[in-house]
Amino acid sequence: MKVEEFMTPKVESIDADRSVYDAIERMVNKRLRSLLVTPWNKNRDDFGVITARDIVFRVLSKGLDPAKVKISQIASKPLLCVDKDADLVDVATLMEKHNIARVFVCDEKRILGLVSLLDVMSATIIERASKGYAS
Amino acid sequence: MLLKNLFAIGKKEDLVIAKISNQIKLICTACESFRDAIKNRDLRLMHRIIEMERDGDVLKREIFSTIYAGAFLPYLRPDLFRFVHIVDDVFDLLEDAAFNYLDLTLNEEIEFECARVAELNLRMCEMLSITFQAMLNGEELREKILAVRIYEKKIDDIKFEIIKKVRTVEVESFWEGTVLSDFISSLTSMSDMIEDASDHLQIISASLR
Repeated sequence: MKVEEFMTPKVESIDADRSVYDAIERMVNKRLRSLLVTPWNKNRDDFGVITARDIVFRVLSKGLDPAKVKISQIASKPLLCVDKDADLVDVATLMEKHNIARVFVCDEKRILGLVSLLDVMSATIIERASKGYAS
Repeated sequence: MLLKNLFAIGKKEDLVIAKISNQIKLICTACESFRDAIKNRDLRLMHRIIEMERDGDVLKREIFSTIYAGAFLPYLRPDLFRFVHIVDDVFDLLEDAAFNYLDLTLNEEIEFECARVAELNLRMCEMLSITFQAMLNGEELREKILAVRIYEKKIDDIKFEIIKKVRTVEVESFWEGTVLSDFISSLTSMSDMIEDASDHLQIISASLR
């Protein structure tokens, strides 16, 4: 199964200049665990990602005020990407190697979607269930 | 021992099994056509789906009359009827969605999400077909039913997104709004029925053991 078949094609993004509090609000409203961070320097093609983990471990648990911390201060970059033709094993290997729960699916400079650990798990079950049967 | 051997002990039973397989194949074909029709905005293909629903009705009646003519032991018949009914209900929802689509112009964003749901409905039907075949082969159905459930949860997530977006759409009349609402309701309810159908296969499988 190719990653393109089980990725989430719509990726929510947020500007790097916004506060962590804005990111929290967005994540809660949309029930997301991560946001793509859009470039803060228009001359740079430089995306990042902010996750619930980053927010909890780098801001909230340290007693910092999320309204006063900019996303750019805690976002991770560069993005870890896979090709849309990558398969489940490639994605799982990448996630394990970098100890991350999601990777972006990219095509040259365009971000096509997002694939999470849950997506990999679900796709693996579907692949196992379909084994031996023509679709 | 293959469940087929327990399940199908004569010509009538073989006929019913073949017709149920055809019914499931037909719903898969219809879902595929629906997906393509949405992607390509093909109204002619949508009309074809409405015709396929009638073919599905014919198959349903043939299955019922063969069962009534004495196929299968009496204790199996209600569950088989129920399964065939559920698949037919899926077809009815698909027909409703196709019919409502003929009067709609969806905005790009909602159309994209509806196309995703249509694709997932197709995958669910294909998995239902696999589950049915696996049941006949006497295989454990747990993983297949889990796969169906995974698809259903994905559709639920998209459904909530569609409902949020649709609330921002301006409609010019009550009927325009009703048609849009009915279309989305039919499209997103199919997955619940397909999940019910797969659960029913588990019941049939368990009753044969």
